[in-house]
Amino acid sequence: MAKKDFAEIRKEVKALVSEITEIPEGELKDESRFTEDLGVDSMMALEIVASIEKKYKVVIPEEKIPTVRSLQNVYELLEEIMRK
Amino acid sequence: MEGNKMETYWDINKIQEILPQKYPFLFVDSVLELDNKSKKAVCLKNVTINDYFFEGHFPGNPIMPGVLIIEAMAQSSILLYTALRPEIARKKPDFYLGKVEAKFKKPVTAGDQLIIEVCGEKLMDKGGVIKAVAKVRGQVVSEAEILFGVKLKNENNKK
Repeated sequence: MAKKDFAEIRKEVKALVSEITEIPEGELKDESRFTEDLGVDSMMALEIVASIEKKYKVVIPEEKIPTVRSLQNVYELLEEIMRK
Repeated sequence: MEGNKMETYWDINKIQEILPQKYPFLFVDSVLELDNKSKKAVCLKNVTINDYFFEGHFPGNPIMPGVLIIEAMAQSSILLYTALRPEIARKKPDFYLGKVEAKFKKPVTAGDQLIIEVCGEKLMDKGGVIKAVAKVRGQVVSEAEILFGVKLKNENNKK
């Protein structure tokens, strides 16, 4: 895989989450909590996970998903997985 | 690990045991193939002129409604999920349709054998994403991506 810098990936992930949740990127803060602040439901979460997996050809382990509570957590997890 | 393909055949009795949907809302007649490794199932729905929906869709012009093709794909997805996650399916959870993105390419009519191929793109205990392709005589008639949730009945109050 072509080496992309993580700042670029962060931008892409944010755009992807914005598209799925239909929340404008401007209102999407990295620290906002998905369920409490943004009203993301389990279906959207599944869609986000599936889209990220497809886009970056990674596998996000099922047991990690409940620990992901914000965009910041998504970045961290994805970077961790991609570094491996 | 090639050649690990299970040439399973599930008949209508087995399907009726698994699917919560019953007549007249059962749109899979048999499971022709199941492959746990590649997370794929091939299901069959024989479309006949006796299918009740043809009475109104449309008089003199029997076309299987697209939404029912989607339903057949969704039911095939439940069957696939049952094969891949038997420990959850055994508890008879509720399956929720979350999102569908579909394309219809050709009409399906009486006499067609609708072959539905479902492939698990992402499967988890609480839901999944399935890629489904429906074919008649080898030609693609419809394609869809189906997002669904799985919830155990006693879990309804939990997030």
